Amino acid sequence: MHEVSIALGMVDELKRIAKENNAQKINIVTLRIGKLSGIVTDSLKFAFDAVKLEHPIMSSAEIVINEVSLVYQCDECSTTFETGDIYFPACKKCASYNLKMISGEEQDIENVEVEV
Amino acid sequence: MCDICGCAHDVKDTKTISINQSLLKSNEDAASANRKHFDEKGILAINLISSPGSGKTTLLEKTIEALDGGLSLGVLEGDIETDLDAERIRARGVPAVQLTTGGACHLESALIHRGFHALEQQLNGKKLDLLFIENVGNLVCPSFFDLGEHVRVVLISVPEGPDKPLKYPKAIRTSQLLIITKSDLLPHFDFDVEKVRADACALNPSIKVIVTSAKTGGGIEEWVYFLQTNLTTELKRKKP
Ligand SMILES: Nc1nc2c(ncn2[C@@H]2O[C@H](COP(=O)(O)OP(=O)(O)OP(=O)(O)O)[C@@H](O)[C@H]2O)c(=O)[nH]1
Ligand SMILES: [Mg+2]
Ligand SMILES: [Zn+2]
Repeated sequence: MHEVSIALGMVDELKRIAKENNAQKINIVTLRIGKLSGIVTDSLKFAFDAVKLEHPIMSSAEIVINEVSLVYQCDECSTTFETGDIYFPACKKCASYNLKMISGEEQDIENVEVEV
Repeated sequence: MCDICGCAHDVKDTKTISINQSLLKSNEDAASANRKHFDEKGILAINLISSPGSGKTTLLEKTIEALDGGLSLGVLEGDIETDLDAERIRARGVPAVQLTTGGACHLESALIHRGFHALEQQLNGKKLDLLFIENVGNLVCPSFFDLGEHVRVVLISVPEGPDKPLKYPKAIRTSQLLIITKSDLLPHFDFDVEKVRADACALNPSIKVIVTSAKTGGGIEEWVYFLQTNLTTELKRKKP
């Protein structure tokens, strides 16, 4: 359950964002989580719902998670492709293992809806 | 008052703020500050991560023996409770500060910052070459938290089994070196070193692999060489 650690880090981040924007309340937090981030999105939601209760400013906040798929570009033939293989991805066109990751490691806060 | 229908219902203004930053930005900012501080002082910082009992403290003890005073060392020991590991290091004459997380299963950059200043007090102005950070025994959470280290080293011991790289890919992906520890136990376990090496390289093509034993001393020389090479790189970084 490393998602608890991440949820606690996220709470710190949200407190800072709320303060910087003079927000009274946080309503919705939209996250972007890559398939390769190592974060289990259901666990993160569950953890956040538990830890948010101690912080009145976000105690009723909802989180929305946009999952980002794993996309590589092949160094040999430049094909860009999506894959579910997190261990041994190979180019879908030429089978090369020489790949550059385009997306999939995201663990970002995209935006926050607040009451001001 | 509501502007749409004029009812007494209290409608608050909401707005959406675009953020597009890491979930763990506070920790990442503190990590960058730590790294800059280490760079200014020409210190190579090494973050050791592994499951509980893979041999992190033992490796540090062997490192102290092998370097035999040749470089100046300091250690930050992360544990949930007790200062037993810091005691083991101090018993060998090396300054060490215990960081107890009081429950948290990983170290964070703010704690490293405080720990480093506490370590400086034990140093009495002596310059450090290598700062070792022994993370809390856990192969998952620590891989999410940059501490400002220059090198992250992941340890997997032979008795843990050869499936660990594939089960803990983030630890492998974010490390520059994998140390397979307790190689003296290889005759007693079904542990295919070449398979582990291949899996680790598939996850992280640039990772280096060293196989060590604290019992026989195997691989320790190679580890010391790795440290010296990285320290040289760090000192070049210091003097552009
Ligand atoms: N056979 C053998 N045992 C080892 C070796 N290295 C460490 N051990 C033993 O493994 C046990 C755990 O070693 P530690 O160095 O305390 O492990 P650690 O990773 O620091 O443990 P935590 O700090 O609790 O996470 C001890 O009993 C060591 O003696 C080795 O190379 N060979
Ligand atoms: Mg230890
Ligand atoms: Zn291709």
